[in-house]
Amino acid sequence: MHFAPNTRLSRVQDLLSTQLDQETVLMSIDAGAYYGLGGAAQSIWKILEVPVTFFELVDRLVKEYRVSPQTCTADLEPFLLKLEQEGLLCVE
Amino acid sequence: MSLQAYWAYGLCIHAELDCPELPPHTGMSGSPDVTIRLLPTVSAASEIPENHACEVQPGIFRLAVPGVARYRVEEGCRIFIEPLLDAPIEKVRLFLFGSVMGALLYQRGLFPLHGSAVETPWGAMIFVGVQGAGKSTLAAQFHHRGYRLLSDDVCAVASTAEGLQILPALAKFRICADAFERLGAPREGHFEVDKYVVPMGVGYCPHPVPLRAIHVLQIDDATTSECAAPAFQVLSGFDRVQRLLENLYRPQYLKGQQTQATVMRLAAVIAQKATVAVVTRRPNPCEAGELVDFLESAWADHFDPIPSAEQNTDIHAEATI
Repeated sequence: MHFAPNTRLSRVQDLLSTQLDQETVLMSIDAGAYYGLGGAAQSIWKILEVPVTFFELVDRLVKEYRVSPQTCTADLEPFLLKLEQEGLLCVE
Repeated sequence: MSLQAYWAYGLCIHAELDCPELPPHTGMSGSPDVTIRLLPTVSAASEIPENHACEVQPGIFRLAVPGVARYRVEEGCRIFIEPLLDAPIEKVRLFLFGSVMGALLYQRGLFPLHGSAVETPWGAMIFVGVQGAGKSTLAAQFHHRGYRLLSDDVCAVASTAEGLQILPALAKFRICADAFERLGAPREGHFEVDKYVVPMGVGYCPHPVPLRAIHVLQIDDATTSECAAPAFQVLSGFDRVQRLLENLYRPQYLKGQQTQATVMRLAAVIAQKATVAVVTRRPNPCEAGELVDFLESAWADHFDPIPSAEQNTDIHAEATI
Protein backbone atom coordinates (compact mmCIF):
# COMPACT_ATOMS: atom_id res chain seq x y z
CA MET A 1 0.00 0.00 0.00
CA HIS A 2 1.38 3.41 -1.02
CA PHE A 3 -0.69 5.53 1.34
CA ALA A 4 -0.83 5.08 5.10
CA PRO A 5 -4.30 5.53 6.66
CA ASN A 6 -3.20 8.80 8.28
CA THR A 7 -1.61 10.25 5.10
CA ARG A 8 -3.08 13.71 4.61
CA LEU A 9 -4.35 14.47 1.12
CA SER A 10 -5.33 17.85 -0.29
CA ARG A 11 -5.64 19.66 -3.59
CA VAL A 12 -2.67 21.80 -4.58
CA GLN A 13 -3.31 25.54 -4.63
CA ASP A 14 -3.55 27.59 -7.81
CA LEU A 15 -5.65 25.10 -9.74
CA LEU A 16 -8.63 26.52 -11.55
CA SER A 17 -11.69 24.45 -12.27
CA THR A 18 -15.01 24.61 -14.06
CA GLN A 19 -17.91 22.28 -14.72
CA LEU A 20 -18.61 21.25 -18.33
CA ASP A 21 -21.53 18.90 -18.97
CA GLN A 22 -20.83 15.94 -16.65
CA GLU A 23 -17.12 16.68 -16.27
CA THR A 24 -14.95 18.74 -13.93
CA VAL A 25 -12.26 20.53 -15.92
CA LEU A 26 -9.03 21.46 -14.12
CA MET A 27 -6.48 23.94 -15.34
CA SER A 28 -2.95 24.34 -14.00
CA ILE A 29 -1.81 27.76 -15.17
CA ASP A 30 1.86 27.18 -14.31
CA ALA A 31 2.07 23.80 -16.02
CA GLY A 32 -0.23 24.82 -18.88
CA ALA A 33 -1.99 21.49 -18.32
CA TYR A 34 -5.68 20.60 -18.50
CA TYR A 35 -7.56 17.67 -17.00
CA GLY A 36 -11.08 16.33 -17.30
CA LEU A 37 -12.50 14.39 -14.36
CA GLY A 38 -15.68 12.34 -14.68
CA GLY A 39 -17.60 9.81 -12.58
CA ALA A 40 -15.86 8.64 -9.42
CA ALA A 41 -12.81 10.81 -10.13
CA GLN A 42 -15.11 13.79 -9.80
CA SER A 43 -16.45 12.56 -6.44
CA ILE A 44 -12.90 12.07 -5.15
CA TRP A 45 -11.89 15.54 -6.28
CA LYS A 46 -14.97 17.00 -4.58
CA ILE A 47 -14.08 15.28 -1.29
CA LEU A 48 -10.51 16.63 -1.58
CA GLU A 49 -11.85 20.20 -1.51
CA VAL A 50 -10.96 20.12 2.20
CA PRO A 51 -7.89 18.12 3.32
CA VAL A 52 -8.69 14.55 4.41
CA THR A 53 -6.71 11.51 5.52
CA PHE A 54 -6.49 8.50 3.22
CA PHE A 55 -8.60 6.55 5.74
CA GLU A 56 -11.37 9.17 5.69
CA LEU A 57 -11.35 9.26 1.89
CA VAL A 58 -11.69 5.46 1.61
CA ASP A 59 -14.41 5.49 4.25
CA ARG A 60 -16.48 8.08 2.41
CA LEU A 61 -16.10 6.37 -0.97
CA VAL A 62 -17.02 2.97 0.50
CA LYS A 63 -20.28 4.50 1.74
CA GLU A 64 -20.97 6.38 -1.50
CA TYR A 65 -20.21 3.53 -3.92
CA ARG A 66 -21.06 0.54 -1.67
CA VAL A 67 -17.82 -1.28 -2.38
CA SER A 68 -15.48 -3.13 -0.04
CA PRO A 69 -12.61 -1.13 1.48
CA GLN A 70 -10.21 -3.53 -0.31
CA THR A 71 -11.70 -2.87 -3.74
CA CYS A 72 -11.90 0.85 -3.02
CA THR A 73 -8.25 1.04 -1.91
CA ALA A 74 -7.09 -0.97 -4.95
CA ASP A 75 -8.93 1.36 -7.34
CA LEU A 76 -8.16 4.55 -5.47
CA GLU A 77 -4.40 4.25 -5.07
CA PRO A 78 -3.42 4.31 -8.76
CA PHE A 79 -5.67 7.34 -9.26
CA LEU A 80 -4.19 9.22 -6.30
CA LEU A 81 -0.66 8.39 -7.50
CA LYS A 82 -1.56 9.76 -10.89
CA LEU A 83 -2.89 12.96 -9.31
CA GLU A 84 0.31 13.26 -7.30
CA GLN A 85 2.51 12.69 -10.37
CA GLU A 86 0.60 15.36 -12.28
CA GLY A 87 1.19 17.79 -9.42
CA LEU A 88 -2.50 18.10 -8.58
CA LEU A 89 -2.41 16.45 -5.15
CA CYS A 90 -0.58 17.40 -1.99
CA VAL A 91 0.46 14.31 0.01
CA GLU A 92 1.71 14.74 3.58
CA MET B 1 -5.10 67.58 -18.53
CA SER B 2 -8.22 67.27 -20.66
CA LEU B 3 -9.97 63.92 -20.84
CA GLN B 4 -10.58 62.03 -24.05
CA ALA B 5 -13.57 59.68 -24.26
CA TYR B 6 -13.35 56.32 -26.02
CA TRP B 7 -15.55 53.30 -26.48
CA ALA B 8 -13.98 49.83 -26.38
CA TYR B 9 -14.89 46.38 -24.95
CA GLY B 10 -18.39 47.76 -24.29
CA LEU B 11 -16.87 50.28 -21.89
CA CYS B 12 -16.82 54.04 -21.84
CA ILE B 13 -13.19 54.94 -21.22
CA HIS B 14 -11.99 58.37 -20.14
CA ALA B 15 -8.26 58.79 -20.70
CA GLU B 16 -5.76 61.49 -19.89
CA LEU B 17 -3.82 60.59 -23.01
CA ASP B 18 -4.64 60.43 -26.71
CA CYS B 19 -5.44 56.87 -27.78
CA PRO B 20 -5.71 56.71 -31.57
CA GLU B 21 -6.04 52.90 -31.26
CA LEU B 22 -9.49 53.28 -29.68
CA PRO B 23 -12.74 54.36 -31.32
CA PRO B 24 -13.80 57.77 -29.97
CA HIS B 25 -16.93 57.91 -27.80
CA THR B 26 -19.20 60.62 -29.04
CA GLY B 27 -20.88 62.50 -26.21
CA MET B 28 -18.89 62.82 -23.01
CA SER B 29 -21.96 62.75 -20.76
CA GLY B 30 -22.35 60.16 -18.03
CA SER B 31 -19.75 58.62 -15.81
CA PRO B 32 -17.09 56.46 -17.43
CA ASP B 33 -16.69 52.72 -16.77
CA VAL B 34 -12.91 53.06 -16.86
CA THR B 35 -10.56 55.97 -16.25
CA ILE B 36 -6.96 56.03 -17.44
CA ARG B 37 -4.79 58.42 -15.42
CA LEU B 38 -1.37 59.55 -16.57
CA LEU B 39 0.86 60.17 -13.54
CA PRO B 40 4.03 62.27 -13.63
CA THR B 41 6.97 60.62 -15.37
CA VAL B 42 9.40 58.75 -13.17
CA SER B 43 13.13 58.60 -13.76
CA ALA B 44 13.84 55.63 -11.50
CA ALA B 45 14.37 53.25 -14.40
CA SER B 46 16.71 51.21 -12.24
CA GLU B 47 13.84 50.22 -9.97
CA ILE B 48 12.25 48.22 -12.75
CA PRO B 49 13.66 44.73 -13.09
CA GLU B 50 14.99 43.58 -16.45
CA ASN B 51 12.10 41.25 -17.23
CA HIS B 52 8.50 42.48 -17.21
CA ALA B 53 7.43 42.12 -13.60
CA CYS B 54 3.74 41.70 -12.93
CA GLU B 55 1.96 41.27 -9.66
CA VAL B 56 -1.63 40.09 -9.29
CA GLN B 57 -3.60 40.65 -6.09
CA PRO B 58 -7.35 40.57 -5.59
CA GLY B 59 -8.58 43.71 -7.34
CA ILE B 60 -5.09 45.05 -8.08
CA PHE B 61 -2.74 44.35 -10.97
CA ARG B 62 0.73 45.88 -11.32
CA LEU B 63 3.03 45.70 -14.32
CA ALA B 64 6.47 47.24 -14.73
CA VAL B 65 8.00 47.36 -18.22
CA PRO B 66 11.68 48.39 -18.35
CA GLY B 67 12.25 51.53 -20.40
CA VAL B 68 8.52 52.11 -20.78
CA ALA B 69 6.28 52.55 -17.74
CA ARG B 70 4.76 51.25 -14.55
CA TYR B 71 1.06 50.40 -14.71
CA ARG B 72 -1.53 49.75 -12.01
CA VAL B 73 -5.08 48.49 -12.61
CA GLU B 74 -7.65 48.68 -9.80
CA GLU B 75 -11.01 46.92 -9.50
CA GLY B 76 -11.53 46.72 -13.26
CA CYS B 77 -12.16 50.46 -13.53
CA ARG B 78 -9.04 52.52 -12.81
CA ILE B 79 -5.75 52.42 -14.72
CA PHE B 80 -2.75 54.47 -13.56
CA ILE B 81 0.30 54.91 -15.76
CA GLU B 82 3.66 56.21 -14.61
CA PRO B 83 5.67 56.59 -17.82
CA LEU B 84 9.44 56.49 -17.51
CA LEU B 85 11.33 59.59 -18.51
CA ASP B 86 11.88 59.64 -22.31
CA ALA B 87 9.70 56.57 -22.88
CA PRO B 88 8.07 56.79 -26.34
CA ILE B 89 4.32 57.25 -25.83
CA GLU B 90 3.58 54.69 -28.60
CA LYS B 91 5.31 52.07 -26.48
CA VAL B 92 3.44 53.18 -23.37
CA ARG B 93 0.18 52.62 -25.31
CA LEU B 94 1.39 49.31 -26.75
CA PHE B 95 1.50 47.72 -23.27
CA LEU B 96 -1.60 49.67 -22.15
CA PHE B 97 -3.73 48.10 -24.89
CA GLY B 98 -2.09 44.68 -24.55
CA SER B 99 -1.19 43.33 -21.13
CA VAL B 100 -2.81 46.09 -19.06
CA MET B 101 -6.16 45.99 -20.83
CA GLY B 102 -6.05 42.17 -20.63
CA ALA B 103 -5.69 42.39 -16.85
CA LEU B 104 -8.58 44.88 -16.68
CA LEU B 105 -10.80 42.48 -18.66
CA TYR B 106 -10.00 39.68 -16.18
CA GLN B 107 -10.83 42.00 -13.28
CA ARG B 108 -14.21 42.65 -14.91
CA GLY B 109 -14.90 38.92 -15.26
CA LEU B 110 -14.77 38.89 -19.06
CA PHE B 111 -13.17 36.11 -21.10
CA PRO B 112 -10.24 37.52 -23.09
CA LEU B 113 -9.08 35.27 -25.92
CA HIS B 114 -5.79 35.83 -27.70
CA GLY B 115 -6.88 36.23 -31.28
CA SER B 116 -8.73 38.25 -33.89
CA ALA B 117 -12.46 38.51 -34.55
CA VAL B 118 -14.56 39.40 -37.58
CA GLU B 119 -18.27 40.12 -38.03
CA THR B 120 -19.97 37.77 -40.50
CA PRO B 121 -23.58 37.10 -41.54
CA TRP B 122 -23.42 34.05 -39.22
CA GLY B 123 -22.28 36.02 -36.17
CA ALA B 124 -18.89 36.86 -34.74
CA MET B 125 -16.06 34.50 -35.66
CA ILE B 126 -12.86 34.37 -33.58
CA PHE B 127 -9.50 33.07 -34.82
CA VAL B 128 -7.04 31.83 -32.21
CA GLY B 129 -3.89 29.74 -32.42
CA VAL B 130 -0.21 29.74 -31.59
CA GLN B 131 2.04 32.56 -32.73
CA GLY B 132 2.52 32.29 -36.48
CA ALA B 133 -0.69 30.30 -37.03
CA GLY B 134 -2.05 33.21 -39.07
CA LYS B 135 -4.74 34.78 -36.86
CA SER B 136 -4.19 38.42 -37.86
CA THR B 137 -3.38 37.50 -41.45
CA LEU B 138 -6.68 35.67 -41.82
CA ALA B 139 -8.56 38.58 -40.22
CA ALA B 140 -6.79 40.93 -42.66
CA GLN B 141 -7.88 38.73 -45.58
CA PHE B 142 -11.50 38.86 -44.39
CA HIS B 143 -11.16 42.63 -44.00
CA HIS B 144 -9.85 42.76 -47.56
CA ARG B 145 -13.06 40.98 -48.66
CA GLY B 146 -15.20 43.62 -47.00
CA TYR B 147 -15.90 41.97 -43.64
CA ARG B 148 -15.79 44.29 -40.62
CA LEU B 149 -13.26 43.59 -37.89
CA LEU B 150 -14.27 43.40 -34.23
CA SER B 151 -10.89 43.14 -32.57
CA ASP B 152 -7.33 42.13 -33.01
CA ASP B 153 -4.97 40.54 -30.48
CA VAL B 154 -7.39 40.56 -27.52
CA CYS B 155 -11.01 39.44 -28.06
CA ALA B 156 -13.30 39.96 -25.09
CA VAL B 157 -16.24 37.57 -24.79
CA ALA B 158 -19.04 38.60 -22.44
CA SER B 159 -22.13 36.79 -21.23
CA THR B 160 -24.98 39.28 -21.63
CA ALA B 161 -28.78 39.25 -21.52
CA GLU B 162 -28.60 38.79 -25.32
CA GLY B 163 -26.32 35.76 -25.00
CA LEU B 164 -22.59 35.50 -25.61
CA GLN B 165 -21.17 38.52 -27.39
CA ILE B 166 -17.86 39.80 -28.65
CA LEU B 167 -17.21 43.28 -27.36
CA PRO B 168 -15.42 45.17 -30.13
CA ALA B 169 -12.21 46.91 -29.26
CA LEU B 170 -9.43 48.35 -31.34
CA ALA B 171 -10.03 50.67 -34.25
CA LYS B 172 -6.63 49.75 -35.65
CA PHE B 173 -4.97 46.44 -36.02
CA ARG B 174 -1.42 45.24 -36.08
CA ILE B 175 -0.26 42.74 -38.61
CA CYS B 176 3.02 41.11 -39.57
CA ALA B 177 4.79 42.74 -42.47
CA ASP B 178 4.94 39.48 -44.42
CA ALA B 179 1.17 39.16 -44.37
CA PHE B 180 0.86 42.46 -46.19
CA GLU B 181 3.45 41.50 -48.73
CA ARG B 182 0.99 38.82 -49.82
CA LEU B 183 -2.06 41.11 -49.67
CA GLY B 184 -0.38 44.23 -50.97
CA ALA B 185 0.80 46.89 -48.53
CA PRO B 186 -1.99 49.06 -47.11
CA ARG B 187 -2.07 52.67 -48.21
CA GLU B 188 -2.81 54.13 -44.80
CA GLY B 189 -0.76 51.75 -42.69
CA HIS B 190 2.49 52.60 -41.03
CA PHE B 191 5.19 50.41 -39.58
CA GLU B 192 5.49 50.25 -35.80
CA VAL B 193 7.77 47.97 -33.76
CA ASP B 194 7.56 44.82 -35.89
CA LYS B 195 4.09 45.16 -37.31
CA TYR B 196 2.01 47.34 -39.57
CA VAL B 197 -0.66 49.36 -37.81
CA VAL B 198 -3.73 49.79 -39.98
CA PRO B 199 -6.55 52.18 -39.11
CA MET B 200 -9.86 50.42 -39.59
CA GLY B 201 -12.26 53.28 -40.31
CA VAL B 202 -15.42 51.86 -41.87
CA GLY B 203 -13.89 48.38 -41.80
CA TYR B 204 -14.46 48.30 -38.06
CA CYS B 205 -17.65 47.06 -36.42
CA PRO B 206 -18.48 49.32 -33.45
CA HIS B 207 -21.25 47.30 -31.76
CA PRO B 208 -21.20 43.94 -29.93
CA VAL B 209 -21.95 40.92 -32.14
CA PRO B 210 -23.31 37.51 -30.99
CA LEU B 211 -20.53 34.96 -30.81
CA ARG B 212 -20.92 32.03 -33.20
CA ALA B 213 -17.62 30.16 -33.37
CA ILE B 214 -14.03 30.05 -32.19
CA HIS B 215 -11.54 28.68 -34.72
CA VAL B 216 -8.21 27.24 -33.60
CA LEU B 217 -5.88 27.72 -36.57
CA GLN B 218 -3.34 25.00 -37.21
CA ILE B 219 -0.84 24.59 -39.99
CA ASP B 220 -0.84 21.19 -41.63
CA ASP B 221 2.85 20.28 -41.60
CA ALA B 222 2.44 16.78 -43.00
CA THR B 223 4.70 16.17 -45.97
CA THR B 224 1.74 15.26 -48.14
CA SER B 225 0.06 18.60 -47.49
CA GLU B 226 1.00 20.07 -50.88
CA CYS B 227 -2.32 19.07 -52.34
CA ALA B 228 -4.38 18.58 -49.17
CA ALA B 229 -7.36 20.89 -48.80
CA PRO B 230 -8.01 22.93 -45.64
CA ALA B 231 -10.11 21.17 -42.98
CA PHE B 232 -12.84 22.29 -40.55
CA GLN B 233 -13.31 20.00 -37.57
CA VAL B 234 -15.91 20.79 -34.90
CA LEU B 235 -14.74 19.77 -31.41
CA SER B 236 -16.86 18.18 -28.71
CA GLY B 237 -16.56 17.34 -25.01
CA PHE B 238 -13.54 18.31 -22.94
CA ASP B 239 -11.48 19.36 -26.02
CA ARG B 240 -13.68 22.44 -26.48
CA VAL B 241 -12.97 23.94 -23.08
CA GLN B 242 -9.30 22.93 -23.20
CA ARG B 243 -8.83 24.77 -26.50
CA LEU B 244 -10.56 27.84 -25.08
CA LEU B 245 -8.41 27.87 -21.94
CA GLU B 246 -5.24 27.28 -23.98
CA ASN B 247 -5.98 30.42 -25.94
CA LEU B 248 -6.75 32.72 -23.03
CA TYR B 249 -4.86 36.01 -23.22
CA ARG B 250 -2.02 36.00 -20.64
CA PRO B 251 -3.53 33.22 -18.48
CA GLN B 252 -1.01 33.90 -15.71
CA TYR B 253 -2.96 37.12 -15.01
CA LEU B 254 -5.87 34.95 -13.91
CA LYS B 255 -3.90 33.73 -10.89
CA GLY B 256 -4.94 35.48 -7.71
CA GLN B 257 -7.84 37.21 -9.50
CA GLN B 258 -11.12 37.59 -7.56
CA THR B 259 -13.05 36.85 -10.73
CA GLN B 260 -11.37 33.44 -11.36
CA ALA B 261 -14.58 31.47 -10.80
CA THR B 262 -16.58 33.80 -13.07
CA VAL B 263 -14.02 33.53 -15.88
CA MET B 264 -13.85 29.73 -15.55
CA ARG B 265 -17.66 29.43 -15.57
CA LEU B 266 -17.70 31.58 -18.70
CA ALA B 267 -15.24 29.14 -20.34
CA ALA B 268 -17.76 26.33 -19.86
CA VAL B 269 -20.66 28.45 -21.14
CA ILE B 270 -18.70 29.42 -24.26
CA ALA B 271 -17.75 25.76 -24.85
CA GLN B 272 -21.41 24.75 -24.63
CA LYS B 273 -23.05 27.59 -26.55
CA ALA B 274 -20.52 28.50 -29.23
CA THR B 275 -18.91 26.20 -31.77
CA VAL B 276 -15.23 25.42 -31.19
CA ALA B 277 -13.53 24.14 -34.34
CA VAL B 278 -10.00 23.29 -35.42
CA VAL B 279 -9.17 24.75 -38.82
CA THR B 280 -6.19 23.17 -40.52
CA ARG B 281 -4.62 25.18 -43.29
CA ARG B 282 -1.83 24.51 -45.73
CA PRO B 283 1.54 26.11 -44.90
CA ASN B 284 1.80 27.90 -48.25
CA PRO B 285 -1.51 28.21 -50.03
CA CYS B 286 -1.22 29.24 -53.67
CA GLU B 287 -3.94 31.85 -53.26
CA ALA B 288 -4.11 34.23 -50.30
CA GLY B 289 -7.90 34.00 -50.22
CA GLU B 290 -8.05 30.20 -50.23
CA LEU B 291 -8.83 29.89 -46.53
CA VAL B 292 -11.40 32.70 -46.70
CA ASP B 293 -13.27 30.87 -49.50
CA PHE B 294 -13.05 27.63 -47.56
CA LEU B 295 -14.38 29.12 -44.31
CA GLU B 296 -17.20 30.97 -46.06
CA SER B 297 -18.50 27.68 -47.42
CA ALA B 298 -17.89 25.82 -44.13
CA TRP B 299 -19.90 28.48 -42.25
CA ALA B 300 -22.72 28.36 -44.80
CA ASP B 301 -22.89 24.57 -44.26
CA HIS B 302 -22.78 24.69 -40.47
CA PHE B 303 -24.62 27.84 -39.42
CA ASP B 304 -27.77 29.82 -40.06
CA PRO B 305 -27.27 33.52 -40.80
CA ILE B 306 -28.31 35.93 -38.06
CA PRO B 307 -30.31 39.08 -38.75
CA SER B 308 -28.04 42.12 -38.83
CA ALA B 309 -27.78 44.15 -35.63
CA GLU B 310 -29.11 47.25 -37.38
CA GLN B 311 -32.49 45.54 -37.69
CA ASN B 312 -35.19 45.29 -35.07
CA THR B 313 -33.61 44.43 -31.74
CA ASP B 314 -36.39 41.97 -30.84
CA ILE B 315 -35.54 39.79 -33.82
CA HIS B 316 -31.90 40.18 -32.89
CA ALA B 317 -32.48 38.91 -29.35
CA GLU B 318 -34.46 35.88 -30.54
CA ALA B 319 -31.75 34.85 -32.93
CA THR B 320 -29.04 34.98 -30.28
CA ILE B 321 -27.59 31.61 -29.39
